[in-house]
Amino acid sequence: MVTDSILAVLVFAVPLAFALVIFLCGGISRVLREGAALMGIGITLAISALIASRVLKGEVLTYWNLNFYVDGLSSLMELLGSAMGFIIIVYSLSYVNHHPRLGDIPERRLRLYYGLILLFLSMMNWTCATNNIIMLYVSLEATTLATAFLVTFYWRRESIEAGYKYLLLVTVGVTFALLGCVLIYSAGIPYLPRRNILLLTELGKVAGSIPHSIVLLASSLIIVGFGTKAGLVPFHAWLPDAHAEAPIPVSALLSGIVIKVGAYALARTITIFAPRFPAIILFVAILCSFGMLVGMIMALVQDDIKRMLAYSSVSQIAYVIEGLGLGSYLGIYGGLFQLTNHTITKALLFLTAGSLMFATGERKISGLSQLRKRMPITAFCFFVGALSISGMPPFNGFVSKFTIFLAVAEQGLLWAAVIAVITGFLSVACFARAAYLLFWVTPAEGITGTGSPQPPPIRETPPTMLMGMILLAALCLLLGVYPQLVHPMLDSATKIILKLLTGL
Amino acid sequence: MASHITGNLVITLIVAHLIASIAAVELRNLRASTWALCVQSLFLCAIFGAFAVISRNATLHWWVLSTFVTKVIVVPWMLLYYIKKLPKSELKPIVGFAASLILLFLFLVIFYRFVHTYIEFVAPTPEALVEPARSSLAIAFTIFVLGLYVMVARRDAVKIVIGLVLLENGVHLSLVTLAPSLPETTVFGITTNVIVAAFLLLYLTERVYRQLGTVDTVELSQLKR
Repeated sequence: MVTDSILAVLVFAVPLAFALVIFLCGGISRVLREGAALMGIGITLAISALIASRVLKGEVLTYWNLNFYVDGLSSLMELLGSAMGFIIIVYSLSYVNHHPRLGDIPERRLRLYYGLILLFLSMMNWTCATNNIIMLYVSLEATTLATAFLVTFYWRRESIEAGYKYLLLVTVGVTFALLGCVLIYSAGIPYLPRRNILLLTELGKVAGSIPHSIVLLASSLIIVGFGTKAGLVPFHAWLPDAHAEAPIPVSALLSGIVIKVGAYALARTITIFAPRFPAIILFVAILCSFGMLVGMIMALVQDDIKRMLAYSSVSQIAYVIEGLGLGSYLGIYGGLFQLTNHTITKALLFLTAGSLMFATGERKISGLSQLRKRMPITAFCFFVGALSISGMPPFNGFVSKFTIFLAVAEQGLLWAAVIAVITGFLSVACFARAAYLLFWVTPAEGITGTGSPQPPPIRETPPTMLMGMILLAALCLLLGVYPQLVHPMLDSATKIILKLLTGL
Repeated sequence: MASHITGNLVITLIVAHLIASIAAVELRNLRASTWALCVQSLFLCAIFGAFAVISRNATLHWWVLSTFVTKVIVVPWMLLYYIKKLPKSELKPIVGFAASLILLFLFLVIFYRFVHTYIEFVAPTPEALVEPARSSLAIAFTIFVLGLYVMVARRDAVKIVIGLVLLENGVHLSLVTLAPSLPETTVFGITTNVIVAAFLLLYLTERVYRQLGTVDTVELSQLKR
């Protein structure tokens, strides 16, 4: 049932309006900065939840002559993004706001920080709401532009370099995707009666008519382009630096949501073509198998906890894209489930890493030890995250990864399933090692605590930071034992893609 | 007859556009390079205008207008503003001037001829197979490759921004050639993105220069780790 609803526009207009309020008046008082940020994200979350409840009843919300189109998939992304944005903003109230108190950054920079986070969430919701293939590029690029100054937040040499690299590589990458979209757009137009806009929802109708050489050329351009945004190997060069140099809440945002926007764009384009073109399925499977292995091996050798988590994201996003690239029910379902789980789990892991850094001021794994007793809640949350991301039952990562193994095997790509399982084992090794070093091992000779024999007392972090972590850890366990909770949402999103790819 | 003359005009403009692009890439003085980029964008506007006349398509006027404002005025102005604060001359590229010029020219001509001949593999519609769309599409791909070349082979951060603008110009030309009836809102969105991206990159370059005294991107990535 297609309904005209202003909600499809409000979901990105509201955070945009609040971002403008913060940019214009955020310097006046804290109420207009943190207060406006909390209120803006709160209202956005409420709108996303409202949309989700309506979409689950089988409605599709559209606006402005189908130019905005919110279905199960868009709604899933908007809900995830807004919920994660809420947790990250609450976490930032302690984490980022302690910097001006310490005096390492001026207080006025907080205005830019909260403004840009809301601006990013607005652009991300716009990406999910738009139904025009060229506008998809425009809004996707806007999410990159909005997050560039969040990466350079500290304005140190490394963060400026990381921001420069991020902006340049992703902009160039996404331009490739634009070229691919242009080819598809112009090839599809002649097959649409009386229309001059190619809507994403009409892609399935024209997919069979477009010349094969064009589809393959455009698909590779789109995989390169949106794959760069998603951090897919070998286009991931920006990702480790950007994740490592950004403030922790921004790293959680980058890993949790920003790279998922790239995966979303791939789901809207490549997934539609995949079932008709086995070459695309094979290409994506090879790329992703290579990517998950390389990402995990790189993660194993990192000493910097943020870089380790960043490389783990490179590996995990490959699972998501591999699932989405199959174009089968099980594949898309597994891909979207893994996307949801990775958003929750990786945000949890980054926030616990932030908690460690907040308490100790140290981000080298070798520089930290025996934190189990001093930071019990953080330690517990890290374990939940580590087990979940390595795909251990009874956590959520297990369910989604298992679905992807099955889906890959179902398509006859047994070698890819084997590589995926091997990567899972490597992942266990990687996170077990990190957890052991961080929380258990007693400092050996040569490895000292925070650099002094008598380290300052390390205490658990403030409740605003713990709250988000506990919530996410609970979700990891809940979705692992009771995956039916998200099933209606994932099912509706998967069915909508399948419906679109057969051309309605 | 009129469309035949405009068709020839498009070909002439395309050649001028290519020469201006090569000048923008090869000129070592960054101010001169920026002016060449400005001229290149002006030719791009003229090509869009010629297409508007040929196809009698009113939406293309929005392309002409927004390209003129963003690429002929705003982007070169931003570049000139930041070049004032940065070193005047480009960092010495890895390949020398004469060799680079000759190699680049040869490569681009061969690449252009290649795409022009085998256009049916990349042209999505039958209309794109006939002139002037055929040449226009071939030059769009050529400029795209030229932009990529600049970003890979050059070390100077400002030159890389110029390369990015060239790359985007190539894609926009393909967009106008293949999908002329794009709605205005989309056109504004696309052109605004380029301005913001170029501004952010130049701003970051200037910050890097103030803090580290270099605009060498190779040095930046080596300093890192």
